[in-house]
Amino acid sequence: MKIESWLFLGGIFFFIPVGIVYGVMTEWNEWVGFPALFMVAGMAGMIGFYLYYTAKRVGPRPEDRLDGEIHENAGVIGKFAPWSWWPLMLASAAAVGFLGLAIGYWILYLGVGLAVIGIIGWVYEYSRGDHAH
Amino acid sequence: MVSVGTVVWLSSELMFFAALFAMYFTLRAAAPEMWATESAKLNVPFALINTIILVSSSFSCQMGVFRAEDLKPRRTGGLFNFKEWGMVEWFILTFILGAIFVSVQAYEYTELVHHGVALNSNAYGSAFYMTTGFHGLHVAGGLIAFLLVIGRAYIARNFGHFEATSAIVTSYYWHFVDVVWIALFAIIYFLK
Repeated sequence: MKIESWLFLGGIFFFIPVGIVYGVMTEWNEWVGFPALFMVAGMAGMIGFYLYYTAKRVGPRPEDRLDGEIHENAGVIGKFAPWSWWPLMLASAAAVGFLGLAIGYWILYLGVGLAVIGIIGWVYEYSRGDHAH
Repeated sequence: MVSVGTVVWLSSELMFFAALFAMYFTLRAAAPEMWATESAKLNVPFALINTIILVSSSFSCQMGVFRAEDLKPRRTGGLFNFKEWGMVEWFILTFILGAIFVSVQAYEYTELVHHGVALNSNAYGSAFYMTTGFHGLHVAGGLIAFLLVIGRAYIARNFGHFEATSAIVTSYYWHFVDVVWIALFAIIYFLK
């Protein structure tokens, strides 16, 4: 985990100095550039610190150790749908909605209605029916 | 896995708001005298109270997350026994606070339109409504996410890590939107 944390955290050490240099050269009068550069540092930091603290929490993973074995990574890593029609449904709803922006607003309302069905269907797919728990 | 994806997506959201800030400051640099006259029409104390409401919703959201991590979806005590509240009660409180924020902001918009600051009136109006409006849309999206998470807690007979994960990532989003608002508030209402 160390490498992937520092891969992102490294961005901080580039973008903050660059932002400061930018600020000094524009005498901090130009407010578009240096906040944007600092925010890029923030973007890198968000992912980097998240990975860093997650790494601290979970400890060294098998792929971080020289004596790690493939079977040690067996087990549940998350909940993934093996098949689901809902992403397709939601994407179609978005497509209909954008079609509405291009052609006529009345189509947008159809897209919104379909999107509501798609979101609810997707979110509750593993909470109802055969999957109720 | 869900939380990693959420953090990566939120970092891209940060750049979305970076573009809005860049737009705001570009227009501000192009028309400084317009900024001086138009930003004087803002009601700063009113917006400050609204900011406090949004920030407090972040705290109630985090309390809900702690309860979700304890796998405690519902309250076990009386309605006003806050210590025994579950995730659902804290998230409903968060939802109410967030809804107040959006409603107050809508009221603020109508006030500003009466004072001649509208989306199509001038560059300041465009910058103001685009930045705060996109933030408001994010808050509204967060409210929908809270409803979906609360619904998941109600529908589940066994509240487990599946439900808790969605609650936790929703809180990441909520805190992010909250922090963006603090930056927006500082820029629009204090820096001007």
